[in-house]
Amino acid sequence: MTLRILNLVVIGALVLAAAYVYRIKFDSTVQAERLAKIRSELLHERDSIAALRAEWGELDNPARIEPLAKRYLRLKPIAPAQFDSLDQLPDRPPQFIKPDSQDPIGVIIENLAEPGTVTGSVSAPATTPAENASEAGAQSPAANPEMPSR
Amino acid sequence: MTATAQTASLQPGEPWRRRLVRGLLYGSKIDRGAKARARVGLAIIVFAAVYSIIAARLVMFALVPDSRIAHHGGAGDAIATARPDILDRRGEVLATDVRVPSLYGEPRRIIDVDEAVELLTADLPDLDATELRERLSSKRGFVWLKRDITGERQREIYRQGLPGIGFLSENKRAYPNGAEVSHLIGHVNIDNQGIAGIEKWLDGHGLAALHMAGLATDRLQTPVQLAVDLRVQHALRDELVAARAKFKALAAAGIVLDVRTGEVVAMVSEPDYDPNNPRQALDPTRINRLTTGVYEMGSTFKTFTIAMALDSGKVTLKSSFDARMPLRFGKFDIHDFHAQHRVLTIPEIFTYSSNIGAARAALAVGVDAHKAFLKKIGQLDRLRTELPESAEPIVPKRWGELNTITIAFGHGLSVAPLQAAMGVAALMNDGIMIPPTFLKRTEAEARALGKRVVKPETSEMMRYLMRLNVEKGTAEKAEVKGYYIGGKTGTADKVINGRYSKTKVLTDFIAVLPADQPRYLLLVMLDDPQPLPETHGFSTSGWNVVPLGGAVIARIAPLLGIEPRMDLPTADHLILASAKESR
Repeated sequence: MTLRILNLVVIGALVLAAAYVYRIKFDSTVQAERLAKIRSELLHERDSIAALRAEWGELDNPARIEPLAKRYLRLKPIAPAQFDSLDQLPDRPPQFIKPDSQDPIGVIIENLAEPGTVTGSVSAPATTPAENASEAGAQSPAANPEMPSR
Repeated sequence: MTATAQTASLQPGEPWRRRLVRGLLYGSKIDRGAKARARVGLAIIVFAAVYSIIAARLVMFALVPDSRIAHHGGAGDAIATARPDILDRRGEVLATDVRVPSLYGEPRRIIDVDEAVELLTADLPDLDATELRERLSSKRGFVWLKRDITGERQREIYRQGLPGIGFLSENKRAYPNGAEVSHLIGHVNIDNQGIAGIEKWLDGHGLAALHMAGLATDRLQTPVQLAVDLRVQHALRDELVAARAKFKALAAAGIVLDVRTGEVVAMVSEPDYDPNNPRQALDPTRINRLTTGVYEMGSTFKTFTIAMALDSGKVTLKSSFDARMPLRFGKFDIHDFHAQHRVLTIPEIFTYSSNIGAARAALAVGVDAHKAFLKKIGQLDRLRTELPESAEPIVPKRWGELNTITIAFGHGLSVAPLQAAMGVAALMNDGIMIPPTFLKRTEAEARALGKRVVKPETSEMMRYLMRLNVEKGTAEKAEVKGYYIGGKTGTADKVINGRYSKTKVLTDFIAVLPADQPRYLLLVMLDDPQPLPETHGFSTSGWNVVPLGGAVIARIAPLLGIEPRMDLPTADHLILASAKESR
């Protein structure tokens, strides 16, 4: 009797073990396939990186940049006279106003400036298509997000 | 089986014939029961062995990774080999591999050759129909039909579904900078093997062996970093192209050498070629004149002559030589271009570029010492660098006094310009000669390779003379305020049909900056520049390569990180005075 129970137990264990092994094997096959797929993707990515790097190299080529810079920028090669060292820099002019008080001259200028004045740093208020938007534009032209940036 | 054996043994009434057979087979006196048990045992062992072998094999199969899965991603992959990327000194890509599809055919598997030819030529019009038919009708297993096709074409051909026609993705070398660095990096053939320049050098250094073993198929190889700076290279090339067009010269070439490390920071030989289209490289006018060409360098060789005279100790800066009359040797007269008709000191010989003075200075040192000095400073032997292309200098077979006289001012000895640049760099670099390299090198590595060729004091005097020549000499037009350039010009008459031409010249200019603490050496040369109205009909170097050298320096000095210094004293104060103090 005990022997028969033992036999049954062993058979049961065998079936379980077989099922378990089958699952492990199946999982590992799935993993291996995923690995192979990722590897080939990696290879592909590396190839595309190389292709992009080559393309970037072509776009970044000084022989291409130079004519573009000459046409669209008003920059010129640096002349030796344009270099200077830091110790040649003059001292900072002394500060006459206390740090926490208001700049009196600045206040005068601010009061003088008319709201709609166009200067080099303050551009004209945007000619807004709708009249109702001009209210906000007249009060604070700099805060208007529709301002064309200069 | 046991049962039958037992019943057989208990059978007394057997026919005699059967008893006889059994007696012969088993013997008559054996216990049949024991024997049967032994047989059963044997059978058990055999079966157990067979099953355990099967089990062991199963475990083995389970443990070894599935080869089909592992190779899944590599199907249709390249056979052409991968090469490491080539970068410039700041990491910009000069050469890289890109994957391109190539079309191949398997003639044995093609069913209808005519149909295949028709459809393929429709998609790829540049394919030759007769040749294609010939290839596809052959008995071979594999033929290339077209290398390097576009992805679009690949899709079109794929859609036609021709049997026996397939694609392999191959590595193809791409040179994103085109002609900018052509002579330096060289190029590869269709099978991605280097056939010129650094590309060939790479193959000679282990890559070819990797290719043979089939290992170099992935792009996991470490990139090779060169000494060249792409920005400087471009600036130099741009100026040379402009100068070549302006002076209608046959060729223009230039090199920027790091004096302290021997690195070649830029090297241009115009006309050059696009390595993406290597067929252009076959044109003999597009050779690399700096390493493959040898030239008589003209007056720049006086730098070596004067350095030798000063280094020998027989001559000092205060020595003077008679340049009142042309120097007569046999039937030859040596004249001066900027004739002064008086006795000249060494600095005057250098700044007036006096042939007579240089010749007399060389003669004062002696023929053998002259030869030995040029040998020591590397002008008589072939200069070998990483570039496979190199040329042997043309040295006179019998070296007499006349040879010394002419070589003293740069005629009668032809050297590669890179070689001359190396020699002058040695004279500037405290007298230590460093072999030039195209690969990145640190100063410590360079110092280990360095070899002393002249005394440090001689180097100081030479730097003084170079600077003096720009302050008041033949190289005045090269002056760029703030960079303290020193330089020596050279104009060599070209040899046409074995005779020196009166009109055709090769002009060159070697500059060093800054002259008091040299960091970079620039050599520029023009082959056969034409006189222009604005050069007042002259074609000597002072009118063409010297301003060119100045323009190049003004452009490259900020790129090389050389700080301009204004209001520096003249050479005799800055260089000579500091030399005296340090001694």
